[in-house]
Amino acid sequence: MYRLLVLFLSIALSVSIAQASNDLSGNSKAAQSTEKYHDSVSVIRKMHPEFLNHKRDKTLRQGVRTEENSLKGCVNCHANKDEKTNQYHPVNEQDQFCSTCHQKVSVSVDCFSCHRTTPGKGASL
Amino acid sequence: MSKTLNRRDFIKTTSATTVGVAAIASGVTLTSFAANDKSVTNAKRWGMLIDTNKLTETEIDGMVGACRKENGWGSEVHSTGNQKPTWIKKLKVQDKATGKITDLPLMCQHCEEPPCVDVCPTNASMKREDGIVLVDRHLCIGCRYCMMACPYDARSFVHEDLTDQKEHMPRGKGTVESCTLCVHKVDNGESPACVASVNSDAVIFGDLYDANSKINQTLKKIQSTQIRADLNLNTGVRYSGI
Repeated sequence: MYRLLVLFLSIALSVSIAQASNDLSGNSKAAQSTEKYHDSVSVIRKMHPEFLNHKRDKTLRQGVRTEENSLKGCVNCHANKDEKTNQYHPVNEQDQFCSTCHQKVSVSVDCFSCHRTTPGKGASL
Repeated sequence: MSKTLNRRDFIKTTSATTVGVAAIASGVTLTSFAANDKSVTNAKRWGMLIDTNKLTETEIDGMVGACRKENGWGSEVHSTGNQKPTWIKKLKVQDKATGKITDLPLMCQHCEEPPCVDVCPTNASMKREDGIVLVDRHLCIGCRYCMMACPYDARSFVHEDLTDQKEHMPRGKGTVESCTLCVHKVDNGESPACVASVNSDAVIFGDLYDANSKINQTLKKIQSTQIRADLNLNTGVRYSGI
């Protein structure tokens, strides 16, 4: 009986650790999804500017339109929805997905003067 | 089961289960890719044939409207007159001798030798392998040399901050833009929005190099022309009836 209890508790613990390590709060698709999209959160956290820069050139200049590392995909999955208004918060709004870290490390990005900050209508990747 | 669990056993079981769950979770990665994961090549050259005899004025307005809707331009509030972006416009040309007026839609002609690419100081203005001429806004510094170089006046400059852009068509202040031949649709095997808005075969879109394509076969049969053919730019957009 004890063993069962320990098993249950340890699963609960590991799930909560996994959730916490993703730093995903709110009700974005990514926070609600049980699927694991990125191999390593630390890699994507450190390398996402390089991934995005590489991907933008592949897409724009070579017409490679895969969902891997696409900015549209980031926005679609990580934008939070306001419970009351049922509208998405722009990802670059204060304390939203993109801006939390960027504020903290004092980085100003220029992605969103052109790119859409909320998932589009009928958003797909 | 009646055995009392000591501290060491607890830690052993817990860590073993945690490692097990983590191993399973790391194996579950999303590796599905869309169909178009290959680079475009110069085996294709996208082009358009516009028959001005078959095309009505209403249809041209419809083409402009479809482009506007697809790419999200035309709702700029602070831009005045000439500042407003125009990716495609309706043009009236008159024969001086007979007075005959012809309406035609004019947009980026997707030249094989684009003057806009020649003059761009940052390589932002570029031609894809398959002949589609685009602006890489990541590199565009907004100098507008390309707008001056274009003989078709096909390019526009964004003069104001924009929000709520289309997700497939990022647009922003300080960059130059023009018809992309709806590259996001073409890459997915669809026709550009303006071509899809015309119900007749007055506007044909396709691969100029493909001998089996409708545009290739039609161009072989009928008389067609390029606007300002004297410049030897070899445009991708061709016209018949003018």
